[in-house]
Amino acid sequence: MSERHAILRPNPLSRWLIHAAVYAIALTMLIPFAWMIATSLKTRGEAISSTPTLLPPGWPWQWQWDNYAQAWETANLGRYYINSAVVAIVVTLLAGVHNALAGFALAKMRFAGRRATFTMLLLVMMLPVQVSFIFAYVICGWLGYVDNYQALIVPFLASAFGIFYMRQAIASVPDDLLDAGRIDGFGDFEIFAYIIVPSIKPAVAALAIFTFIASWNSFFWPLIVIDSNDMATLPLAVASLSSQYYTDSWPVQMAAATIITVPLILVFLLFQRAFVEGITLTGIKG
Amino acid sequence: MSRSQSRNAWAFLAFPLAIIALFVALPSLAGIVLSFFEWSGGGSPRFIGMENYRALASSGPFAPALRNTLVFALVTVPITTGGAFLIAAALNAEWFRGRTTLRTVLFIPTIVSIVAIGFIWRWVLDPSPAGLLNHALEWFGLERSALPDWLGHGPWGLVTIMGVSIWRGLGFAVVLYLAALGGVPRSMYDAAAVDGATSWQTLWHITWPGVRPMTFFLLITGMIGALQVFDIVLVMIGTSATGWTDVLNLYLYREFTLNRLGYSSAIGVIILLLTIIITAIQWRSLGGAEAGA
Repeated sequence: MSERHAILRPNPLSRWLIHAAVYAIALTMLIPFAWMIATSLKTRGEAISSTPTLLPPGWPWQWQWDNYAQAWETANLGRYYINSAVVAIVVTLLAGVHNALAGFALAKMRFAGRRATFTMLLLVMMLPVQVSFIFAYVICGWLGYVDNYQALIVPFLASAFGIFYMRQAIASVPDDLLDAGRIDGFGDFEIFAYIIVPSIKPAVAALAIFTFIASWNSFFWPLIVIDSNDMATLPLAVASLSSQYYTDSWPVQMAAATIITVPLILVFLLFQRAFVEGITLTGIKG
Repeated sequence: MSRSQSRNAWAFLAFPLAIIALFVALPSLAGIVLSFFEWSGGGSPRFIGMENYRALASSGPFAPALRNTLVFALVTVPITTGGAFLIAAALNAEWFRGRTTLRTVLFIPTIVSIVAIGFIWRWVLDPSPAGLLNHALEWFGLERSALPDWLGHGPWGLVTIMGVSIWRGLGFAVVLYLAALGGVPRSMYDAAAVDGATSWQTLWHITWPGVRPMTFFLLITGMIGALQVFDIVLVMIGTSATGWTDVLNLYLYREFTLNRLGYSSAIGVIILLLTIIITAIQWRSLGGAEAGA
């Protein structure tokens, strides 16, 4: 990220008001999550009291930590955690490699059909999943994927968006670097592995985070292709909590919401630097 | 342009393109064709021409679902994009304190599962006295009886869905704008300073045009996403959405679960047509050729 602008200089009162407005917006981003965690540690009675308190009553060791155990066990979240993690990790790793290779071909290699391929990808990006999912489901059925990990993994091993994103990032790598590699006797794949990938690491990280989040949070497609309880992913399992077991127990629902939310926030905090750098690299900047 | 490079390029592209063809492109084409058939999933589909579309046009849920989808898209996308621009411009100013922390905080709603978002907001908006929002509004002096049913099927239900949607999407657009703001050339600001422009004039005449390609990207992708709005309604309102809370995609999903696959596909095609029309309008009016990233 380049330097910040010294040029916008409103007067002190305006500055104070702008700070107040932006911090107020940030606060509305946090309050619902604070409320979620607070509620997850209350008893059912405390939660629906008409004089709600921000903190659960009593000392931290008196709070209802048991809600987490209940959410975990009742909804069998351990199993679904593993399902979601396996799917998200495999998809992120493999799709990352496939999208980057395809993006490299489209950005830096000369071959007949390059423009046409790129145009087709842009068109595919506009297709809503609502038009494709019925036959995507039918094809998964033919392949025996329905109700299996494959249904959640194979269709996502490459994506038009991911290829587009990688192509934009790789296009910014100077051609001189590639030529230098060729003089050293590198083949196309070696150039990709030893020159391209190291120079676009932040974009790779950003796409990895996008892919991981999209897979972890994916809701519509699993809802369609997963029927059995065993293969459900975390969002499906947590969604069923509200309808099945605890319609009136906000604390247990909030505990489940916390359980599925926290890992993502941690992943993001860990990688956010690379993520933000990666976005600036992709050529969709001003 | 060696022959080996051409061969390698197709080797790199073959598998990714095959995946996209098999699970996106071909199913989409088949889906469009299916919208002219009647099919319940078993047996062979029966060709019925435009019958699905005719039935759709005269069906009860179609008009409100179409209206709500358009209102949703036309309200949330500009507010999210414009609001994010102003927030990003503030965060980007050198006198602003706490930029990194706020960027992170604003981004959190974007990464959280929609299912968790639904749980949290239904609880915050709960009509019982324990609902946080109503409790807060009462504290500010509003009468409980005068408060709307945030999660009902009236217009307030749509307002709620739009509000949560903006709340969720703001941070993503802020992060993208921050990246774009770093790319506005310093010389343009210096020129404005020489001309004695005020901060607001500079913001409007230099910064805003400077991030045009990003605005273009956010409006186009935002509209495409908004016309497909589905999961936020499902988790906040449920499949029983009706009146002001129904949207095209949820209607499609209900028909799908009833095994009316051709009819369901016809709704998907309507969403696709809306996407194409709105994208084309935006592309023209925003000058896609130069602004396209």
